[in-house]
Amino acid sequence: MRITRSTISPDLFSRSMFALACLFWPALALAHVGQGDISGGFLAGVAHPVFGLDHVVAMVAVGIWGAQLGKPAIWVLPVTFPLVMAFGGVLGGLGVPIPGIEIGIAVSAIVLGGMIAFATRPPLWVAAIVVGIFAIFHGHAHGAELPESANAISYAVGFVAATGSLHALGILIGVANRWNAGAKALRAGGGVIAACGIYFLTGHLIAG
Amino acid sequence: MPARHSTQAARSGLTACLLFAADSAFAHSAARGAGDFYAGALHALTALEHVLPFLALGILAGQQGRKAESILLVFCLSLAAGASAALWAPPLPYIGLLNIVSAILFGGLVAASWSLPMAVYYGLALVFGLSHGFANGAGMLEQTKPYLYIPGVALAGLAVTAYGLMVTDYLLRRKADWIHIAVRVAGSWIAAIGILVLATSGAAILRA
Repeated sequence: MRITRSTISPDLFSRSMFALACLFWPALALAHVGQGDISGGFLAGVAHPVFGLDHVVAMVAVGIWGAQLGKPAIWVLPVTFPLVMAFGGVLGGLGVPIPGIEIGIAVSAIVLGGMIAFATRPPLWVAAIVVGIFAIFHGHAHGAELPESANAISYAVGFVAATGSLHALGILIGVANRWNAGAKALRAGGGVIAACGIYFLTGHLIAG
Repeated sequence: MPARHSTQAARSGLTACLLFAADSAFAHSAARGAGDFYAGALHALTALEHVLPFLALGILAGQQGRKAESILLVFCLSLAAGASAALWAPPLPYIGLLNIVSAILFGGLVAASWSLPMAVYYGLALVFGLSHGFANGAGMLEQTKPYLYIPGVALAGLAVTAYGLMVTDYLLRRKADWIHIAVRVAGSWIAAIGILVLATSGAAILRA
């Protein structure tokens, strides 16, 4: 079929209509800024855990270790971790000092990486205490930055969602534990995580 | 055939255009008289401090199964009552904190996933319906029509909680056992967000 003017114009028409629709779009988006700047605080909240490599490594490690431990740890962990971390965040937000926060976070990567590398399976309550202490350290570091943000609630939403997603990522990686080769790969990964922790720790010790 | 295809594209482009254009035309439309209804609904829907607890209550009701629909009706009526109370009662400065507490309570109960007597849920819906209703009712201006604004608030609350209930009820009917954990994790996130925000607001009040 030969392309004639009449076949082109509806397409052009729809395109121009789309452009017109785009023109109206900013008006829609602006209408909601008044009551709560969701994007501002939210993105800052997401960025805080995601752009700190020491946090990322430790959170993913928590997920992998949970997957390695299997039931019930794999579901106790993601339910309780955000609450314990929020408690740490409260301490940070209220300005309650915890000495050596950055060192604690680096140590958490070493310990969790080590647990994964040696496939250590302590009783659930021991694992819960280990993870809980680190959760408070991580939460404190995030919480100390909370009051400065423009919108506390959207910051908290971003921060909790980002941390939870990092756990989920770890748990997904941990699915590899079902296969023999996968289990070995996970243990090697634990070694890498511990090495990262040592790197972070030496950085802090040299700087401090 | 291509001609018909592009006509269709043109039509959908036009539809999209009308959809977006409606927003800018809104101020002059026949809905002018109903503006305060939307003001009430948007006051609740554009603030995370209301939407998050609403969602958590809906999820909590969803965990109790279909019989829990009446919890949402209690909440909806209680919202209306609270918003009406704001017409004559003096402003309560710390009502926002109470609303954050509701996020922690509802989210925490979802995470805990206990089976409590239904009276507890009715009680929670009643008390926090009043607090959320009051906080939204306080947003009414001199010229706002309460008989439109208050139903707007109440129906927005009903819509969000009903959404939470329907989705949760639907998901929990699936046979995979990780779904009820995912629902509990959602509650845990909401509670963690509430704890962080409460700490921030508390710190701000203490400093003031």
